[in-house]
Amino acid sequence: MRKDLKKYFPVFALPTLAAFCIAFVFPFLAGIVLSFTKFTTVTNAEWVGLENYIKAFSNEDFLNALWFTVKFTVVSVVTINVFAFALALLLTRSIKGTNLFRTVFFMPNLIGGIVLGYIWLLLINGVLQFFGVTITFDASYGFWGLVVLTNWQLIGYMMIIYIAGIQNIPSDLIDAAKVDGASFWGILRHVIIPMVMPSVTICLFLTITNSFKLFDANLALTDGAPGRETTMLALDIYKTFYARTGWQGVGQAKAVVFFILLAVIALLQLVITRRKEVEA
Amino acid sequence: MKSKAKRKSALSHALVYIVLILLSAVFLAPIFIVFYNSFKSRLFITSEPFALPDSETFAGLENYTEGLSKTSFFSAFGTSLLITVLSVAAIVLLTSMTAWYITRVKNRFTKLLYYAFVFSMIVPFQMVMFTMVKTANTLRLDNPLGITLIYLGFGAGLSVFMFSGFVKSIPVEIEEAAMIDGCGPVRTFFLVVLPIMKPTAITVAILNTMWIWNDYLLPYLVIGTDYKTIPIAIQYLRGGYGSIDMGAMMAMLVLAIIPIVIFYLFCQKYIIKGVVAGAVKG
Amino acid sequence: MASITLKNIFKIYPDGFTAVNDVSLEIRDREFVVLVGPSGCGKSTTLRMIAGLEEISRGELYIGERLVNNVAPKDRDIAMVFQSYALYPDKTVYKNIAFGLERRKTPKKEIERRVSEAAKILDIEHLLQRKPRALSGGQRQRVALGRAIVRSPSVFLFDEPLSNLDAKLRTAMRAEISRLHKNLDATFIYVTHDQTEAMTMADRIVVLRDGVVQQIATPQELYEKPCNMFVAGFIGSPQMNFIEGKLKKKNGAFFVSVGQDLIPLPEKESLGGLSDGLDVKLGVRPENVITETARFEKESSPLCGRVDIRELMGSEVYLYVDYGKTKLTVRAPANIAPKSEETLSFQFEKEKLHLFDAQSEKAIM
Repeated sequence: MRKDLKKYFPVFALPTLAAFCIAFVFPFLAGIVLSFTKFTTVTNAEWVGLENYIKAFSNEDFLNALWFTVKFTVVSVVTINVFAFALALLLTRSIKGTNLFRTVFFMPNLIGGIVLGYIWLLLINGVLQFFGVTITFDASYGFWGLVVLTNWQLIGYMMIIYIAGIQNIPSDLIDAAKVDGASFWGILRHVIIPMVMPSVTICLFLTITNSFKLFDANLALTDGAPGRETTMLALDIYKTFYARTGWQGVGQAKAVVFFILLAVIALLQLVITRRKEVEA
Repeated sequence: MKSKAKRKSALSHALVYIVLILLSAVFLAPIFIVFYNSFKSRLFITSEPFALPDSETFAGLENYTEGLSKTSFFSAFGTSLLITVLSVAAIVLLTSMTAWYITRVKNRFTKLLYYAFVFSMIVPFQMVMFTMVKTANTLRLDNPLGITLIYLGFGAGLSVFMFSGFVKSIPVEIEEAAMIDGCGPVRTFFLVVLPIMKPTAITVAILNTMWIWNDYLLPYLVIGTDYKTIPIAIQYLRGGYGSIDMGAMMAMLVLAIIPIVIFYLFCQKYIIKGVVAGAVKG
Repeated sequence: MASITLKNIFKIYPDGFTAVNDVSLEIRDREFVVLVGPSGCGKSTTLRMIAGLEEISRGELYIGERLVNNVAPKDRDIAMVFQSYALYPDKTVYKNIAFGLERRKTPKKEIERRVSEAAKILDIEHLLQRKPRALSGGQRQRVALGRAIVRSPSVFLFDEPLSNLDAKLRTAMRAEISRLHKNLDATFIYVTHDQTEAMTMADRIVVLRDGVVQQIATPQELYEKPCNMFVAGFIGSPQMNFIEGKLKKKNGAFFVSVGQDLIPLPEKESLGGLSDGLDVKLGVRPENVITETARFEKESSPLCGRVDIRELMGSEVYLYVDYGKTKLTVRAPANIAPKSEETLSFQFEKEKLHLFDAQSEKAIM
């Protein structure tokens, strides 16, 4: 259908497509090619095969960042989702004023990573100074600092999604479970959780990708200190590119690995949780 | 028996309220603490960050004047506003047009485009960071107008995906009726399709506003040498060796948060709806 | 002047599927033509090609004297009413109706006059400021009609406009559309899968099947002289009965032998050249089965069957009768009809019988 519309490609699709090619398609393809080369600017690239990848995987900073990122992602995904779900359960009880609480809990989400980082730098250093140290004293302070920060930022967001999921459960279903004599925990386990699996899928996806890609807050809160111990993957890649001349190729190789890891983890998670979803 | 159950539920209600109020306090405290620290002199912010300002520690607006002179915050605010408004407008307008086109004109090419857009959603910025910045420099896109194009291109994935999802739910008959009523493709889109897509347009606008307003690394790398956005201005307060003027920092954090809170209070309904809609589709 | 001429029209999709196969049709000015057939028969595609929403693969389409194959829908002087109504959801009823006029740069005063006139005809004046989602199905249908008539086009196209309405509303809207046709100087082309709609509204009916025209005729002709078994079965409710048998010639008269029975046929020239023993199907409409013994013809003996189910419809009953291998549907007066499990004796009205060649399914008489 719509033979007439087809002719309008330059009007409807070309502007977006041009921008998409400039900002994504070309950089993406060039990025893959460059990861096999040694370069300082794009024009002086020289083919080196897998050398960059070998360098990346034998680079202690990178392995450390990878491990730190994985730990961080696991801990923050679990905590954020547990807290967000619990809050959603509290706020879907028939009590007054839930909208006000929802507004409050969601607000930190609008604050960007850099601003968040400095807010929590003040607070965490404030607490730590009672013990005479600062956040850069030990990597575990930075780790838990980032976890708390990310929780504060994302709990409200995930809570909103869980609330929408819980409100979508037909009340007949919960009534039926009550008539069957199910306890609160029974209803939670056998009705609510299975029915909000679509929300779980989304929230896990969003928290995993957001945690894994965390950059701004990392930069503002610890900047990787002490040493490079609290550097996450995104920050490590950035520093490989811009703080170490001659390592751009390795930076690009790290970025490719970063992308593949993220894509594989996200897709795996989607496939696994989608399977647990039930038809309403 | 009945009154006992009633009393129990009243008790649990009260308990829920107490928990919620405590949690709200925990959620709001960080902002509040930053706020009153912005009126304390620099030294006391680090030595007793949780103490309220008193006659000894109160510094008036000193932190604000200091911060403003160090960061030229207002010009950063202007740059942020300009970039965000232009980019979001471009994204909403152009990606909705593209989504309509690739959904309605069905062939191998549009199908490929659709999958390319979906694919781009999962690619992290670091993957294209270096090459994108080089491309932007080469094409002289390293200014507030040019960066709009970069945001359009890099943000197109999610937006096209969300608009396409909505277009699929619009019955084609409505567009055919418009055609018979005398509309060509351009009029059909602007007079009939776009008004129907308004809810999705709002969602897309909100998600992109939240991203672009707060984005740090992309604008820093693309236009950072000549222009500052708010996040760049704030990061700029961190000195070369990690030393931070906490007084100026607190003041600038407050200034950075105020517009967000105002925006949130005015558009709260749309933001929360938009986030849910965006999440469900994304 | 809006006669419409289809000359050998084809619609062939890229995958090779032929949706419309060599359709030729001449529709006169101000005629009400109904395209009818089961779903997937190509009737909607034909209509959409007339509207210009679908490309014509082969053949020529004329509106009046003008070849319009490559003319845009908006320049064909047509209006269309869709099955889903296709109202603009964000616009008020007034805006919905006025939209087409606005696109044609009609003066504002004129638009107001015509919209209120159309609203009056359709009795939706009180709804003009509402949005479509605040309307009932019947009201939406009226708005869709309003959007069409306000432009006073010379051709109206209807694509199953009533199929989303409940039965009662459908009957009412049917009358309304017939009334509109009488009052407007325009040609109506109407697509439906419902033979009742076709029979009650059309000047002429086009029966389609698998993209091929089966028969073009007035409702009366179609009912009395269906050209093949498909048309015979499609038109009329309840459906025509078909009884398998063999043609028999005896003493110069023709019969159809079914099991032990010999069913007499009327004297028709078309039977003359046929050979004895030809496989045929006898077509009998349920209303042409005689059950009152008083009306039986003396010279032939009555047939017998066992009543399986009896459905009371009010003044009459539908009987489902086992007659040999065939399940016959019989319409009979309620007062004399036998009960379920009882035996029914009956005869067929000889002059109203239809006969089809079992092989080609074409009508013999």
